[in-house]
Amino acid sequence: MATATDTNVGKVSQIIGSTFDAVFSEENLPDIYNALQIDQELKGAHIKVTGEVQQHLGGGRVRCVALGSTDGMVRGMDAVDTGGPITVPVGKETLGRVFNLLGEPIDGRGEVNTDERWSIHRDPPALVDLSAKSELFETGIKVIDLLTPFVRGGKAGLFGGAGLGKTVILTELIARIASAHGGYSVFAGVGERTREGNDLWLEMQETEIGDTGRHVIEQTCMVFGQMNEPPGARLRVALSALTMAEWFRDTTGTDTLLFVDNIFRFSQAGSEVSALLGRMPSAAGYQPTLGTELGELQERITSTNKGAITSVQAVYVPADDPTDPAPATAFSHLDAFLYLERSITEKGIYPAVDPLASSSRILDPQYVGDHHYNVARRVQQNLQRYRELQDIIAILGVDELSEEDKLVVHRARRIERFLSQPFLVAEVFTGKPGNITPIADTIRSFEEICDGKWDHLPEQAFMYVGVVEEAEEQAKEMEAKLK
Amino acid sequence: MANARAIVKRRKAVRNIRKITRTMELIATARFKKAMDRATEAAAYTQKIAEIVADLSQGSLKFSHPLLQSRDTVKNSVLLVITSNRGLCGGYNGGVLRKATACIRESESNRRVEVAGKRGINYLKFKGQAIAESYTHFEDRPTFEEVEVLADRYIEEFVSGKIDRLDVAYMKFESASRQSPVLEQLLPIGQLAGTGEGEQKSNIDYEFLPSAQEILEEIVPAAFKSQMLKCFLDAAVSEQIFRMVAMKGATENAGDMISSLSRKYNRARQSQITNELAEIIGGMAALE
Repeated sequence: MATATDTNVGKVSQIIGSTFDAVFSEENLPDIYNALQIDQELKGAHIKVTGEVQQHLGGGRVRCVALGSTDGMVRGMDAVDTGGPITVPVGKETLGRVFNLLGEPIDGRGEVNTDERWSIHRDPPALVDLSAKSELFETGIKVIDLLTPFVRGGKAGLFGGAGLGKTVILTELIARIASAHGGYSVFAGVGERTREGNDLWLEMQETEIGDTGRHVIEQTCMVFGQMNEPPGARLRVALSALTMAEWFRDTTGTDTLLFVDNIFRFSQAGSEVSALLGRMPSAAGYQPTLGTELGELQERITSTNKGAITSVQAVYVPADDPTDPAPATAFSHLDAFLYLERSITEKGIYPAVDPLASSSRILDPQYVGDHHYNVARRVQQNLQRYRELQDIIAILGVDELSEEDKLVVHRARRIERFLSQPFLVAEVFTGKPGNITPIADTIRSFEEICDGKWDHLPEQAFMYVGVVEEAEEQAKEMEAKLK
Repeated sequence: MANARAIVKRRKAVRNIRKITRTMELIATARFKKAMDRATEAAAYTQKIAEIVADLSQGSLKFSHPLLQSRDTVKNSVLLVITSNRGLCGGYNGGVLRKATACIRESESNRRVEVAGKRGINYLKFKGQAIAESYTHFEDRPTFEEVEVLADRYIEEFVSGKIDRLDVAYMKFESASRQSPVLEQLLPIGQLAGTGEGEQKSNIDYEFLPSAQEILEEIVPAAFKSQMLKCFLDAAVSEQIFRMVAMKGATENAGDMISSLSRKYNRARQSQITNELAEIIGGMAALE
């Protein structure tokens, strides 16, 4: 093993896209995952790139992934081995700040000095340390609480194709959970739009936590590696954010929230890096190590007996095809997953959660209780039957259905619309103030609709309301408008 | 994409449905012609006899028939709902039943509901409506004998005062392109005058032989019976028309669905091939 010294310097020998090779002396090779620093003035331009060692090629050559732009790099530059993996600052000082994947603040508010810096490559918690609690995590969003209840200290995924509202739901959850939550939050922006990150940052500065007078941003730390960054950066930014979250979990012992938008970009970046490193592509062109890479990340996002990390992750589904390897691999890691469906957005129903494709591990009488479970199952059965009947309706028309089936269709159409809900962050779009429905009211409302108590209300009255009584009011308003 | 198989399966199912609906459309077309002939034949007779009765009942003659008398207080009444035995006829039953349920809801008197046709029976049973009498033997060729049995019973009950009124809800056949669900009062007959369509102005001076009373005795029940038969015949024609239209629509819808499913299948298949090719080529390139 080579021992890293301050003066272990190599020379860049090859640059391909966002990977580069460096030559060291055979005795002093940097370890895999070690960070290499290139910091040099060249033709008036200051070039500062950090690379991460991925492969040892033999003959003293190591292949690295650049974690910044390789623009302007030339062969022969000095690459300094830092002697260890990339580290990020951890601690309470990180709260309220915005970082890039290297742990450098990018919000223009000066240096962050913390007592500790942790390596972004860490082992997942040991088997015996994992927490086994399964407790429902209330969000106040009807469709989530009823059909895909989140787990406290668990992982939830938002799956959806382009433009179905993943980011909106994620921001909504931040607005709902973080503003009511006493603990710390970490947000990881992975390969998404920079503008969205900026929106979120500004919004967090405005939103207050409960009525403490403090702002959400004061309890939050954000890490961004957005679309414009090279694949190496997008591949590692999730780990940087996770490392900061792990510190909160392990040291402060509080409930920590981790939001990731978007985990698919992590896989995508991995695939780009993999191709640049010359690995043979596997199914659908993804890296052969897709499962391993995601597993290493996801296994670290867990709750231990020291503290909990509750995480919500957005997962982009390419071409609306959930069998694509990247989202399919992410499925198995989650406790609750919401699948957003294009046909539902086409009806103008938001959040466009597919009530039949989405599920949760704790939608089980053992955790949520018999009543909740039974109501959720009834709602699903109703919608399932409606879906089965859809072909018949399309061909023969509603008139040909039996009376029982007509009733199913009648209620299913109402339930479908009742699953929509005005969001706090979507007030500008819906023109309605956000709504938080307590879970007991949610269950009661759906039960009453299934029982047929509200069959007389027009379908449109169920759009964008909270509890079912609001639907009744809306029906009255609609009637008054007609007159 | 494993769903290419599923699409093929679904397309096959839709094809089968289209086969059925197309056949039903053809059958309905054939039956419609026959039923229409019967209905138009009966219509002329019914029309004339109704005119005569209307003339007579309005005329200056000073006599009456029990079936012509309207009663001041309607205590017991009967609603006869004519629906089809078979489904797959679009909004036919729905229209009639909507009319009928509206009537049941509004009526204050003691109303007895009688239904012809399985569809109506099932619907009203589901709605929790008590059905006094149900008939399922009226097919698309209702005969005078079958209807007469019913009519005789109504006459007997009306005359004896058990019922004060009889309404029929059915699909009225106006023309081949126009049918509408109606609610008609058949007993007492007085109201029937309206069907004469203003022709009763021609106040023909009838000469009665042997006597007006005897003729009225004969003609009033006959008019009622023929009116009732017309209701059944109308209903039968309308049913066939509705079925024809509904099945035509269904066949077209199925056709649309098949083409959209075919497109989906082709796309799935194509992308599967593209994907496999890309993988093989990518793999090759990586090996070189």
